[in-house]
Amino acid sequence: MSDRLSSGSSRLDSILGGGLPLNVITLLSGRPGTGKTILAQQYVFHNATSAQPALYLTTVSEPLDKLLRFGQSLEYFDNSALGDRVFYEDLGQVLTEDGLPGVLARISQLLKQRRPGLIVIDSFKALRAYEEDDAAFRTFLHHLAGMVTAMPVSSFWVGEYDGEQTAQAPEFAVADAIITLGTDRTAEREMRILQVQKLRGSGYHAGKHTYRLAAEGLDVFPRLADPVDASNYGGAQELMSSGVPALDGMLVDGYWRGAATVIAGPSGIGKTLLALHFVVAGAERGEKGLIATFQENPVQLERIMGGFSWTQNDPNIELMYRSPVDLYLDEWVHDFFDTLARTGARRVAIDSLGDLRAACGDELRFREYIYSLLQRCARANISVMMTQEVPELFGVTKLSEYGISHLSDNVILLQFLRGDSELKRAVTVLKTRGSAHLQQLRQYEITPDGAVLGEPFDSQQSLD
Amino acid sequence: MTRVEEQLQKSFQSDELDSDHQLGNIIDVQGADDRAGVYSIGAVAKMVDVPAQTLRSWEDRYALIVPVRSPAGQRLYTRDHVEELRFVRDHIQSGLQPADAHRLLAERRRARAADVDETAAGGRRDGLLDESPLAILLAERDPYAAEFAEYFLRTEGYVTTIVLNGDDVTRVLAGNRPDLLVIDLMISGGAGLALCRAVRAADQLPILAVSAIASGDAALEAGADAFLQKPVQPLQFVSTVRDLLGTSAFLRRTASVR
Repeated sequence: MSDRLSSGSSRLDSILGGGLPLNVITLLSGRPGTGKTILAQQYVFHNATSAQPALYLTTVSEPLDKLLRFGQSLEYFDNSALGDRVFYEDLGQVLTEDGLPGVLARISQLLKQRRPGLIVIDSFKALRAYEEDDAAFRTFLHHLAGMVTAMPVSSFWVGEYDGEQTAQAPEFAVADAIITLGTDRTAEREMRILQVQKLRGSGYHAGKHTYRLAAEGLDVFPRLADPVDASNYGGAQELMSSGVPALDGMLVDGYWRGAATVIAGPSGIGKTLLALHFVVAGAERGEKGLIATFQENPVQLERIMGGFSWTQNDPNIELMYRSPVDLYLDEWVHDFFDTLARTGARRVAIDSLGDLRAACGDELRFREYIYSLLQRCARANISVMMTQEVPELFGVTKLSEYGISHLSDNVILLQFLRGDSELKRAVTVLKTRGSAHLQQLRQYEITPDGAVLGEPFDSQQSLD
Repeated sequence: MTRVEEQLQKSFQSDELDSDHQLGNIIDVQGADDRAGVYSIGAVAKMVDVPAQTLRSWEDRYALIVPVRSPAGQRLYTRDHVEELRFVRDHIQSGLQPADAHRLLAERRRARAADVDETAAGGRRDGLLDESPLAILLAERDPYAAEFAEYFLRTEGYVTTIVLNGDDVTRVLAGNRPDLLVIDLMISGGAGLALCRAVRAADQLPILAVSAIASGDAALEAGADAFLQKPVQPLQFVSTVRDLLGTSAFLRRTASVR
């Protein structure tokens, strides 16, 4: 038998180091509307059995009928479980008539009669109002904790506590685990945030994890934070052709499989095209590819690719289009890794870094994400090409890429140069890790075959 | 004592349970009063493996096994009822019609009543009246764990004495030897293992060791017959006790009636 209590969501369990430890007291804290009740019921329905049923005890904050009515809309809610493996009970009357001692007596009875494996008290915070004296409330907590510790039962105390109370309320000291649900606000965007504040006797994944409330319950996206791990890195490195003539011409030795490349340049210069070309060239050799884009929807993308007699309907190419509106970086990253695992993609185009950056409130966090993402891809020998827009059309002075170039193996700058009554496109390799490259500014052209290298510029060429 | 503690103590002393979970208290068990309503119709249906609907129809038709009613009108069956229902069920299973099985039961009741009269008149004593329930000494550090363990043992028909520290164990053992000893190894600051050894050196009574720490090997080495890690599943706890004693107190008593 497992010594962990599953939430039914493998991602949430992974945040909790494999699930909550069995038979502990967990405090679920958060403001109204954050999904505490949804999460508590998720645990109830995923763990209750006839032999070890779950008890859901409501106090005085929400009528039981209302809780049941809303509960029904959740996917895991199982009507046939009620009265068999899940028991709801309203403690409101006991509480009004006999106060907290009545609650203790009732819970003691229920523990004996039902022998539950899981017991939820919602709202726990409402109980505090039934004892004037702080010491008496602590005594109540002591008895309740003693009782539930003596039986093989996992407890959830659900309460609408806010930040300040977290530090002061005695129930936070008594609880073995504390999970808070809240929101983070950046500009006009709100993100739901789950945090583990405390988990006795177990490791957990600290920090802020975004989540959404869905019909299947709480859908959480553990924040990406990979520890530095040198294992596997560089194990199966090989130099290869990128398949993009313009790129191969600049990289003297070839392209390292599994390398991360930033393609920076102004709008309209052909960054997307270069990244697409990289994926398509791989697909033509039978390497699976993934195009992760925010910029072009599938119709727009097909139009662009059609111009080069490429198609996204190639079975070797997977398109992952997500709207940049209301994007959760964590959700996207999990989606991304799931897609990589599902398709076995070897080459990836991410278009663009700026869209991902906009979905992340904090620049430092963003760098951590990209670092983790690139590390994972490098370990799996997956080549990543990321596009990055620079604001200046001419005379690029700096790459506003949030330090990503530092984390990348190759940095390629595309820019416009003023020529004789026409714009010229120029490519420069600013950085390659572990191989040589041309130290030149070279002209390149976009042809029906993709991006191809042109002649070196002559000495008269203006560079701004 | 705070208000909470007072109420809690009250709730521990008398379990005012729902009608469908009414249980006799310790006094009832010790007095062997098997005429107290204890079991709900659902519980009895499970115990004797006869649907509740059938139990109700037998009650209406033969008016022989008639449960008492709780204040709220719920049927409460006694231990005697359960035993009689098993008698009826066994005869039906061996081919009798329900009506005939009930006739047999009525005859048996008359014969029993005659036996009891005979006993009262100085004749042979019935085994049931002579049989005392099995006694368990529960040496448990944690009063909550002790309270739950006592409750589950009591519902199985055992008589339990609780001691909350190690010194009391030897005192109780010297006075009245129980049929089984449950020891929390953490009792009196971790004196449980030494206690196991001391008891085992002097006596062969079955010992069940429990502890929040996984210390099964040490417990068995110290002479315990079984070890369970806390928190203990009630069913596992009770069935372990039953295994160590050979049979449940309740079954032993009903078996002696047959």
